[in-house]
Amino acid sequence: MSKSEVGTWEIGEIRFPFSEAFRLSLESIRKRFVRAAITTAAVVLGIAFLNSLMMMAAIQSVYTGTTGIQTYQYWLLFISLLVCAVGITNSMLIAVAERYKEIGTLKCLGALDRHVLILFLNESIIMGGIGGILGYAAGLIAAIVYGYITLGGKVADPMSKIVEAMLMPRTIIPIALPTVLALLIVSIVLSIILSMAATLYPAYIGAKLNPAEALRYEV
Amino acid sequence: MRYEYTVETEDLAKYYYMGKYVVKALDGVNLKVRRGEYVSIMGPSGSGKTTLFNMIGGLDRPTRGKVYIDEVDISKLDAYELAWLRARKIGYIFQTFNLIPVLTALENVMLPMIFVGTPREQRIKKATELLTIVGLGDRLHHKPGELSGGQQQRVAIARALANDPAIVLADEPTGNLDLQTGLEIINLLRTLNKEKGVTIVTATHDLKMIDVSDRIVYLRDGKIERIETRAEVTVEL
Repeated sequence: MSKSEVGTWEIGEIRFPFSEAFRLSLESIRKRFVRAAITTAAVVLGIAFLNSLMMMAAIQSVYTGTTGIQTYQYWLLFISLLVCAVGITNSMLIAVAERYKEIGTLKCLGALDRHVLILFLNESIIMGGIGGILGYAAGLIAAIVYGYITLGGKVADPMSKIVEAMLMPRTIIPIALPTVLALLIVSIVLSIILSMAATLYPAYIGAKLNPAEALRYEV
Repeated sequence: MRYEYTVETEDLAKYYYMGKYVVKALDGVNLKVRRGEYVSIMGPSGSGKTTLFNMIGGLDRPTRGKVYIDEVDISKLDAYELAWLRARKIGYIFQTFNLIPVLTALENVMLPMIFVGTPREQRIKKATELLTIVGLGDRLHHKPGELSGGQQQRVAIARALANDPAIVLADEPTGNLDLQTGLEIINLLRTLNKEKGVTIVTATHDLKMIDVSDRIVYLRDGKIERIETRAEVTVEL
């Protein structure tokens, strides 16, 4: 158990089990539900845009035989995800500042810098994951509605074309999956990475806080 | 291992540099606190009480001088060892209670025990025991928002005692409480000091604290003005 010895002390282990950290993160999100929902909405919008674009392109290609996505649309996508990340960073900076005192208290109770970091990253993973799934659903619905409207009148059975587009195989390393499934995986992974990357800086600020300063801070 | 002095400071100083001005929050403080003692640090606001609290608590690093807790110079500790010191050796009580708002009273008291790796059953048992001692045995599953100020401070006291610290540091523990509730908290601290032998250092300007303290350290402009033992004070009054 003892990690090192200093003078007459035996320095023991300091830990913060993942289950406990995760629960604390979850409770913190529930407590500040509205702001968490707004932060999540940023992810939802970005990911919904991604999905609708890809899915519409897939429908387009089944119908016309072209690939359907223009280079400028990728740029648009990139910019939209960037805007979404900046939104998350901004919101998490406020969340960290609001909890200076809590961070100071946790450090008084024995928390290490990395425990504070993990706490905020957990929150970003939860919000990112939920945002990714919701964004995926929203984007898919938007694409289906779009496909139904544009194909309706042009082909006899628009729905079968849409389903065909959805099931069109896509290769994401290393296996080929139907488009719907591929997009689901891409959405969840991307939204979590995006959310974590955007939270890294605010979480780092929180983790590096000197406890005396953190406690002095009045909201 | 028993140590005679729980806290020892040697020429302790903390300067803050504000542009070309130097604010000497602490300027050469020598203080020794015996194990089991109840010491109050008194002084007007700006006298350096909180700075001294932060230095003894390992929350901030001094500009000059040394702080020994249980005979170890804590300025020599790295971040990990400092975290261990805060978890194991020191219990903190704050003016604003500082409970984690999303956790229940029981969970708040269990938190410091999580950091040192106490098994779950033992955590629950110990936390329940402590909350019962401070008179909140029937409020285990209430969140801080559902408790009064005095009750929140009791939870904070239970939390401070969770890992059997060498010393409990209290910064203005009665500052946000009314007269009667403040008195109850002071008496609770005194009882814990007497019965459990907990060493307590409080920074305060609450005069009610004088009656229960073994020694009172008067701080002014970052220096110790005088130290009185309780007997002298009672005579004075």
